[in-house]
Amino acid sequence: MIIHRRSKKSKKSARDAEKESETKNLLEIDDLLHQCKMSADFISFRYSEDSEYYIHYFKSIINPDILHEFILPFLRDAQSGDTLFMIQEKVSIDSTKIVKDLETVRDSLLTGAVLVQQKGNVEEALMIPAVAIEKRSVSMPEVEYSVVGPKEAFVESLDANLNLIRKRLPIPELIVKELKVGRLTKTRVAVIYIKEVANEENANTMYQRIEDIDFDNIIDSSFITQIITDSSSSFFPQMIDTERPDRVAGVLSEGKIAVLVDGSPHALTGPTPLVEFFSAFEDYFLSWHLASAFRLIRLFAVFFSVVSTPLYVAVMTFHYEMIPQNLLNPLIASRSGVPFPPILEAIILELTIELLREAGARLPTKIGQTIGIVGGIVIGTAAVQAGLTSNVLLIIVALAALASFTTPVYQMGNVIRLIRFPFLLSAQFYGLLGVTFTFALILGHLLKLTSLGRPYLAPVYPLRLVDLKDALFRLPMYSQKERPIQMRSHVPQRFSMKHHKKRNLDIEE
Amino acid sequence: MYPLPKEDKQVSPYFVFYLIHSMQVGVGILGFERIIAQSARQNAWIAVIIAGIIMIGLVFLSYRILNRGKNDIVAIHHDVFGKWIGGMFSLYFILYYAILVLVILRTYEEVIQVWVFPDVGAWVFLLIILLIAYYYVIGGFRVVTGISFLGVIYGLPLLLVMYFPLKNGHLGNLLPLFDVTFRELYEATKGMTLNFLGFEVLFMFYPFIKKATKSEKWAYFAVIFSTFIYLVTLLVTFVYFSQEQLKTTIWATLSLWKIVDLTIIERFEYVGICIWFFVILPNICIGLWCASRGMHRLFSIRQKTSLRFICLLVLLSALFFRDRQLVDTLNDIVSQIGLYTIYFYIPFLYVVQMIMKRWKKT
Repeated sequence: MIIHRRSKKSKKSARDAEKESETKNLLEIDDLLHQCKMSADFISFRYSEDSEYYIHYFKSIINPDILHEFILPFLRDAQSGDTLFMIQEKVSIDSTKIVKDLETVRDSLLTGAVLVQQKGNVEEALMIPAVAIEKRSVSMPEVEYSVVGPKEAFVESLDANLNLIRKRLPIPELIVKELKVGRLTKTRVAVIYIKEVANEENANTMYQRIEDIDFDNIIDSSFITQIITDSSSSFFPQMIDTERPDRVAGVLSEGKIAVLVDGSPHALTGPTPLVEFFSAFEDYFLSWHLASAFRLIRLFAVFFSVVSTPLYVAVMTFHYEMIPQNLLNPLIASRSGVPFPPILEAIILELTIELLREAGARLPTKIGQTIGIVGGIVIGTAAVQAGLTSNVLLIIVALAALASFTTPVYQMGNVIRLIRFPFLLSAQFYGLLGVTFTFALILGHLLKLTSLGRPYLAPVYPLRLVDLKDALFRLPMYSQKERPIQMRSHVPQRFSMKHHKKRNLDIEE
Repeated sequence: MYPLPKEDKQVSPYFVFYLIHSMQVGVGILGFERIIAQSARQNAWIAVIIAGIIMIGLVFLSYRILNRGKNDIVAIHHDVFGKWIGGMFSLYFILYYAILVLVILRTYEEVIQVWVFPDVGAWVFLLIILLIAYYYVIGGFRVVTGISFLGVIYGLPLLLVMYFPLKNGHLGNLLPLFDVTFRELYEATKGMTLNFLGFEVLFMFYPFIKKATKSEKWAYFAVIFSTFIYLVTLLVTFVYFSQEQLKTTIWATLSLWKIVDLTIIERFEYVGICIWFFVILPNICIGLWCASRGMHRLFSIRQKTSLRFICLLVLLSALFFRDRQLVDTLNDIVSQIGLYTIYFYIPFLYVVQMIMKRWKKT
């Protein structure tokens, strides 16, 4: 009974609310226009004294050409008594609509529509989209530069970016789901995937997480990464942030999900395992031998960059008996005058390099280069000549810094920059064992990490031998006939082997 | 009463290989040569093979028990012996896992103290290693499996350095072949048992294996591979050291690393001990996981709580074993306990379970 009564009551209140909202609507379109009129760039006028139509728009976001050519002439010629519907029919612009709902009116007015109202009919409004978006033209990729291959990079406009992707994947299966995020910014965010090829579960996870975002301003795609990341306590990036449309098209066809954010020249792609952060897209433009060798070099560089200084500190502080006799001479010669213990020496030099990098990154390119030269050559040599640091360590630190630049993904480079400090400290405390312990901790962390719910260390753990073909090294194209198991694609086959089989020919055949 | 784990917590059957192998190769291998060479001298390698074969038989029995019970040891005990007696046996197993952890941890600590940091208090490394292991076990069985897999991979390069002692060895040290009595072999095989201990963790993680019945062959491969590793290590040690030298070499495998002569590293054993940490860590993690999981199942407490409790227990008892003598005693005791557990208890459980099954049917 109680339930029944309540439902009756709620029905009644619902009806009330409906009525209320109707009257509210009447008031609020007017209110909205009043509120908008406070801004200087809001224009509100009638074509002439006896015209029935009021025109409202923000002149800062609409394209005046559209207004002048396609909207105003029709309004001028309109007979008195023409309804909004008749005007809508005449105007040769797509997706015009007659709206009653305040929300829609507000949203489209603020995203570049011209609002037309008829005298005496304040309930309805005709919305004619005439948006003008300022954007720069497509330019070269600067963060992920490649010598060979396409030289297009994303720009700050979502539509232009979608264009760059869709022209590379002209198939109806390429799904673009759009949603608006951000209480203040109302940023358009697009989730892109290829139906069937991508696992629906991944796509839904991504979509769901973005939908659940409650944040006031979403300025850039990096905001989204930080909010939807699997583990926000981790300093490892769990999604790739790329500016190359070719890379996005590539990973989409692998079955990954991409996210574009309006106003950001970057696309997010995921799920991303750790090894992908060390693969440059250029690897696919080179022959597989070279690509594999470069990838291995990069992995080695990362390892070297992280552990070389800590190892120096560990060996110099605790395990000097590990140094072979022939190496002992140069080491003693370069360290004999240095007044600091190895750890202090190492930290000073590491910090100097970090300073240079930070200074270089924040300065205009031309000054940045000067800073690099001044810092790298002058400070380095001076420090050694003044006897503050040893030559050997200077070489190690510089090499480590160089090695850390080899990571093709910028965020990963930052992680590697930072990660060596805990190693340094632990090396100071417990030497090689300290380094080992820190490594174990980081390994444990990596084992626990996931990217969109998929294991981060794959294909190494869980071991997927098939996926190794494009992980630590890259095997030839014809061996890439399957999508990574990691992606759980519904269509694991990328192509059939029919045309790729080589016949086993005899000599001179 | 004892629900099986969810599918997304399970691991593929082939991981049994890494889990069992990493559990069998631990600290023991760093110094097992002296112990088994005491009795069987240059023919101790026969004992390794015999022990390996026995282990395969025991794994076979374990799988029969587990396939019949289709659950972990706690549930099987409950089914076979009832709540109280079964509970007692389960408690014994939990303590047994914990004591395995204790032995491994304390022995590795001993190695660190003797070889790397003689001046640092024992508790420092015990605490650090336990904290790291705790961090892993908190992540669940999949993380534990992960470290056991990576541990096996990281440990493998150490086989390569066997090249250096072989280069300087005398194959004649292995002669005369088969000059050994049955009694001596028996003693050596018994001594080998402690090294092969650890496959009993199978009893705890069995439900966590996908298609567990199919994982049996991986368990055999694991035992065979462990036997192979022990065999290679033993033979290389025998080739390099004479029997007389071996009597006074406590950590024979570690001493072998000292011989390694690389142009950029002297004293390779420091590197070896560090790499070995990744072989030890899975041992500790699996042991802790098994013990805490057992307590969680037996007493219905949160596994996090039981894990903390066991970590604390292990740490405190590890502090008790202060010097070399005590650590040696600990090793002997655990060797005895392990011996009885695997040689007597597993067959016993097998028989009782079979009888109970028949009895329940009728």
